[in-house]
Amino acid sequence: MFPENTKFLVVDDFATMRKIVKKVLTQLGYKNIEEADDGNTAWPMIKDAHSNGNPYDIIISDWNMPGMTGVDLLKNVRGDANLKEMPFVMVTAESEQKNIVEAVKAGVSDYIVKPFNANTLKTKLEALYSKHNGQAA
Amino acid sequence: MSAAEKLGQGNPLLDKRLVNAFVEGMVEVIKSTGTEVKEGKPFVEPQFEAKGSIAGMIGMVAGDMRGTITISFDDSSVFHILENWLMEHHDQINDEVADAVGELTNQIYGKAKTTLNELGYGFEMAIPTVITGGGKIKSYHDGATLILPFTCDNGNFFIEITVER
Repeated sequence: MFPENTKFLVVDDFATMRKIVKKVLTQLGYKNIEEADDGNTAWPMIKDAHSNGNPYDIIISDWNMPGMTGVDLLKNVRGDANLKEMPFVMVTAESEQKNIVEAVKAGVSDYIVKPFNANTLKTKLEALYSKHNGQAA
Repeated sequence: MSAAEKLGQGNPLLDKRLVNAFVEGMVEVIKSTGTEVKEGKPFVEPQFEAKGSIAGMIGMVAGDMRGTITISFDDSSVFHILENWLMEHHDQINDEVADAVGELTNQIYGKAKTTLNELGYGFEMAIPTVITGGGKIKSYHDGATLILPFTCDNGNFFIEITVER
């Protein structure tokens, strides 16, 4: 599993969902969690964190948000040579096949459909860790 | 003929697949908060009357049809659901309660939209607006309304569908 000092950015236009994701991450032992309310807020945070030498390790983002959507944020991240390997998990109510295909084509690391429970997020993070580290969780 | 074309020609308020998709979406999402939910019997009112004190609303667009889905809660039901879901006690409607109703509406619409679009309806993504106060909720609607009532251990909540065509 990712170490306890892993730095997360949680992006969602609803504070309730940011609170739920943050609570689950905290229960899993993570303390370094920042929030943004849409892609327009998140994108400069991601770039600045990288420039300052303290980049985010994982982005967890909603899809459907005013301003910049989650999938556009994902495309920005994958289009930046310095950020393109960053794990990016989509947590969204958009579960149509066409949405999942679009996210996969854009390079999403994993996809969680709302409503979800704490165990789902934990399992997805374990799988993501294995994928990025080439070992069992 | 696609399902969306059929929807445009028939009366959407009598479309069983549309109704069932929203009922199933509501039940799944509310159950995920740890709240028991019971479905009531749907009925149509000739003129919209706000049923709850706080509502999440989404403009519903599919083909030529334009309508509004309203997910409304009375105070006691929304406080009960939030206590189960977020382990938070609320006794008045505030920004936190409104935000949670927006997220619930988002999830319910997302579930129903997925079901309906896989049947060919063509609903679009939309972001909910949350309105508080029965009078304000009423001011967003006009005309016949399909009411899908639900109850939990501590109150009532509703899906209300109005269609402009």
